[in-house]
Amino acid sequence: MSEPFLSIRDLGRAFGGLKAVDGVSADIARGELVGLIGPNGAGKTTLFNLISGFTPPSSGEVHFKGRRIDGLKPDEIARAGIGRTFQNLRIFPNMSVFDNVSVGAIGAERIGMLSAFTGRRGVSERISQRGLAALQAVKLIDDAEELAANISYGKRKYLEIARALAMQPDLLILDEPAAGLNETETKALADFIASLHADGMTIILVEHDMKLVMSICRRIIVLASGRKIADGTPAEVKADPAVLEAYLGGDDA
Amino acid sequence: MSVSDPGRGRSLLWTALLLIVVFAVVPALLASAGRSYLYQVANLIMIFSLLSVSMHLVTGVAGLLQLGHAAFYGVGAYCAALLATHFKLSIGITLPAAGLAAGLVAFLVALPTMRLVSIYFAVATLGIGQMLYVVMLNWVPVTKGPNGILLFGGLQFLGFDLSKPAPAYFFVATVVSVSIYVLHRLSHSYYGNALRALREDDQCADAMGIDTARLKLESFTVSGFFAGVAGALWAHTAGYISPADFNFNVSILILSMVVLGGLGSLPGAIVGAVLLIGLPELLREFKAGDYRNIIIGLVLFGAILFLPKGLIGETSALDLVRRQFGRGRSIPGHEGGVGWK
Ligand SMILES: Nc1ncnc2c1ncn2[C@@H]1O[C@H](COP(=O)(O)OP(=O)(O)O)[C@@H](O)[C@H]1O
Ligand SMILES: [Mg+2]
Repeated sequence: MSEPFLSIRDLGRAFGGLKAVDGVSADIARGELVGLIGPNGAGKTTLFNLISGFTPPSSGEVHFKGRRIDGLKPDEIARAGIGRTFQNLRIFPNMSVFDNVSVGAIGAERIGMLSAFTGRRGVSERISQRGLAALQAVKLIDDAEELAANISYGKRKYLEIARALAMQPDLLILDEPAAGLNETETKALADFIASLHADGMTIILVEHDMKLVMSICRRIIVLASGRKIADGTPAEVKADPAVLEAYLGGDDA
Repeated sequence: MSVSDPGRGRSLLWTALLLIVVFAVVPALLASAGRSYLYQVANLIMIFSLLSVSMHLVTGVAGLLQLGHAAFYGVGAYCAALLATHFKLSIGITLPAAGLAAGLVAFLVALPTMRLVSIYFAVATLGIGQMLYVVMLNWVPVTKGPNGILLFGGLQFLGFDLSKPAPAYFFVATVVSVSIYVLHRLSHSYYGNALRALREDDQCADAMGIDTARLKLESFTVSGFFAGVAGALWAHTAGYISPADFNFNVSILILSMVVLGGLGSLPGAIVGAVLLIGLPELLREFKAGDYRNIIIGLVLFGAILFLPKGLIGETSALDLVRRQFGRGRSIPGHEGGVGWK
């Protein structure tokens, strides 16, 4: 294996004087499920935004499937095969559940204006199938025609993941998917993410809920104040004094 | 577009009904009334239906606030009028030319502005609209300024003389129906869903791999094209155009139609046009024409107040305005907002 699947090299981003992400490096192999944890404000979301092109890096490089992707626009990175969700749930509220997921497939298929006149053949057919498959995966098929604004919060969380799945990405990055869910819902979500991983999806999971990450990830990266302070198995990370200090010294344990 | 499309049968029924009304019922009524003035009103309603449906694509579906639509209507009208008066060309040529000219202007306007944050884009359309209006008003050697242009020769198409009220009506009805069908296909397809994603949350659409800049450019250009087509229809059927037909008030009138009908709803845009052109004409019949603008204002005010989503819309007008001020990656130093509050 010469070229890693995703390679983050000395990545940094400063906002004014604040180094939100500070020289982070990590290689992630195809098929891994990696947990990314750290106290509030550690730079996890910023790191995701750097990978997905929403924030341009101040320094460093990102390589994905052998191609350098830092500097590309977010839609180009998405089409390169990186799907993401957002920390503060972002769905399309005035569109139906199915139409929401269709957008993921539409982006990946890169349709043009002419597709509007070709009816249900070809690309439109593929989009329908991708959309339906994604809804099936998250068990939202019965809500397909419901307005996204009208389904429950928990379902909307799954909808956002389904929309990213409809892109059929090679890498899925999830930013605090369990935020706002209760314990049973979180458990169910953990099982779902584990099953995606078992089906071969490469996933990076940012999560506040330590239990969730520890239970399903075999590798955990810890960020604190923008720096990577640990990278290893849950057992290794839990025993790491630097991690203990970051969490005890931070405002939340 | 929904999964099994249960609305498909119903929408076919509506289409059939609409076609019967436009091509049979209304002409029959007009013929029995026998007043050419009423034909003019009918044409105006259809022309404004096309204007409002073309704005529906860009404002209702793609969520770009367009404050200068009348200017593209004007570009089409002037293009058609000039070709007709200087080169004696018939509408078979002036109509596509008008569409292309307006589409080209729209493309050139959108090219540098599409990356702007929504609200700046809206202001840009306002500015461009006013600029084009000022050109129509002051480029006297070409546009004859405030005096406007008279078109003689009536409505000729493929050697047929369609100048009489009834043939002219059928011509306008055909062009408008075909145009609206094209706009309908664009907004009720996966392509339309991509545009809706743009309206709902353009950064999120980016994250799905949607090329948002390209979509904005395309929808704005197509919308301009059909405004230009409407302009040619107006120039040839009215026989006289002047800058006042294309000023800011007209842009706002078209926007009002889209908002009243409901943002995102194509039938709504048509209903809006029928109401906002039809009602004042009805009032004129009852000698209440002076109150026209007041009535339009009241209808609009009431609609926003009591019908947040218009008569049958997908999204509320206030939401749209709010989104114009929303996140934008185009202001330097403000790339934030992606998950970070
Ligand atoms: N767009 C931005 N502008 C200024 N500061 C930002 C921006 N985005 C993030 N930050 C800052 O960067 C730091 C890391 O934030 P973030 O990546 O959201 O952390 P996390 O997701 O780990 O909680 C925080 O101190 C935050 O205030
Ligand atoms: Mg975060």
